[in-house]
Amino acid sequence: MADLDLDLDDIQGLIVRGYRKPTARHLLLRIDRREAFRAMLGDLATEDRASGPYITVAADWIDKPPAGVKATHCVNIGFSYEGLKALGLPSSSLESFPEEFGQGAVARAAEVGDTGPSAPEHWAPSLLSPAAHVLLSVFADSPEELESVSADLRGRAGRGAATELDRFDARALPGEVAHFGYRDGLAQPTIEGLPMAGLPDPFPLSPPGEFLLGYPSQHAGFTFPVPEPEALGRNGSFGAFRILEQDVHAFERFLTEESERAGIDRELLAAKIVGRWRNGVPLTMSPDTYSPSPPIPQEQLNCFDYVKTAAVEQDYDDPKGLTCPVGAHIRRANPRSQPVAGGGGLTHRIVRRGLPYGPPYDPHHPDDGQERGLVGMFIGVSIRDQFEFVMSEWLNDGIFAAGLGRTKDPLIGANEPHESRFAIPGTTPVQMAGFSRFVTTRGGAYCFLPSMTALRHMADQTGEEVTGP
Amino acid sequence: MSEQPGQEQGGQASTTAAGPTPVAPAAEKPIQSPLTLVMPIASEEAYQQLSQTLLKVQSLPAEQNPIVSALTKIATVHFARFVFLENNTRLAVITTYDGDFDKYIMDFVDHIGDVFDMLLQFMADAPPLPVREHRQEFLDYVRSHDLRGIEPFYSAYPQSTVLDILQATGASQ
Repeated sequence: MADLDLDLDDIQGLIVRGYRKPTARHLLLRIDRREAFRAMLGDLATEDRASGPYITVAADWIDKPPAGVKATHCVNIGFSYEGLKALGLPSSSLESFPEEFGQGAVARAAEVGDTGPSAPEHWAPSLLSPAAHVLLSVFADSPEELESVSADLRGRAGRGAATELDRFDARALPGEVAHFGYRDGLAQPTIEGLPMAGLPDPFPLSPPGEFLLGYPSQHAGFTFPVPEPEALGRNGSFGAFRILEQDVHAFERFLTEESERAGIDRELLAAKIVGRWRNGVPLTMSPDTYSPSPPIPQEQLNCFDYVKTAAVEQDYDDPKGLTCPVGAHIRRANPRSQPVAGGGGLTHRIVRRGLPYGPPYDPHHPDDGQERGLVGMFIGVSIRDQFEFVMSEWLNDGIFAAGLGRTKDPLIGANEPHESRFAIPGTTPVQMAGFSRFVTTRGGAYCFLPSMTALRHMADQTGEEVTGP
Repeated sequence: MSEQPGQEQGGQASTTAAGPTPVAPAAEKPIQSPLTLVMPIASEEAYQQLSQTLLKVQSLPAEQNPIVSALTKIATVHFARFVFLENNTRLAVITTYDGDFDKYIMDFVDHIGDVFDMLLQFMADAPPLPVREHRQEFLDYVRSHDLRGIEPFYSAYPQSTVLDILQATGASQ
């Protein structure tokens, strides 16, 4: 195994761990004057950290809590293909980026199931514009801090560098649950050479080359092509930015109606749909109750599999989904060691970052007309093989596993009432049909997350005109 | 009990304990696709070596045959055969497989790349080898040498994948 020696001062912190800040603001920027924007990049990527908001790197966050002074805010930056072009990257460099990134999230929408109500024509218009160049993300300990840092950044951009096209705010809910009421973020891949980001799991470590450009990937003999020049591509990554509206009222109504119709406990139904009880306890480890006795320690909530494997002490063996339905959300998003088409149940992992947006759902005022959902970033070295693959093969289709047909994820899939189905196997199997989607895509963007070296490289370029291939 | 899936054409086929009421398969595009990969062998001598290599591998017991173990792990290939054509000047790899070939190229090469290295080294127009290091070129090579078939591709069970059939027949993986 190679000695990795990752340069943690070069890699954007967001790739390595979620900051768990309670507030976030994603500023969508249009690059106006290249020279001014390059100067702004130079400031943000400066090695002199005393001069105001700067890009948070992995080294700042390698210990939890971070060593030294605890940062009250974090900043990260991503570029769309159009943004790299607007910045004046030569065409030889632009052409070295992956095809799906070059096409962008709007063009690739159908690929990932963003059709019907989730299609781009319903997205925030700012994200449809070719001027959606840069995503500048601020994460802060408080709304006041968020305002102050955003204002500072807007001030810098305001010197002719960039125009704010839009902003997407997010805020943690009380109790650290997502809008649908589930604890989230328990499962994250552990990247070799970096501290664990989620809970421990029994799976092989992900090589850095699954989440960072320029390192061997998990595929024998293969490194994902590094965008050129190397100073630009190395230590970077890609993220699929997503704004996902969640119809909590519809979901709760569905639980009520279906649990009555099928005669099963409402919370059990909620668990069967996701694969975890709402408090995070996995069905596989506790099929009958969210409160097993003795309780499952926090750090074991991810130590399970769907088939017998030497890596897990307990013999979980659930090929037919009697404990956790094969079509349940977490089993689709991460099939673990179960047999799947291609044999790659463990080779399409994604790093997930996200925070809710919108006010908490109040069951006493269910039809409040407020939009709520999740603002997320799904990170990996290959948008096509990670984010897009999971969306199209595992979440919005069923042929990857036995017995699912063409069905989609019951919680987040692009379900249409005339064809949606969800099966709960068991001694009394339950079949659900006719439900609509509970999650609607409201926007997306494919972003390149450059390293500090890359940002300084971009800042050092000169000329307002494209300098040619 | 294997679950029968929703429909391509809209509308519902009724489902009984024994399975769905048969729908005329010609109306549905199958989940399975044909691979008709025909590759030119480099020379007479290459053919001799290739033929010996293939025979040796194919005579191994199943549990030691790398082709068998790779295809079993991949779990999307229903059938596969190797056929020498045109007076032993071409090797055909003929399979029926589930789903989208392109999307699974990374997983395929991980499991069966070595087998293709073994075969491609004898071809007149081989892509850069080993395939695990040159995945896009391998994908392009397969695409350009795949004769597929004259549509429509007939399937007796157009909606059943390898995984569905293994589960329904109680075969263990």
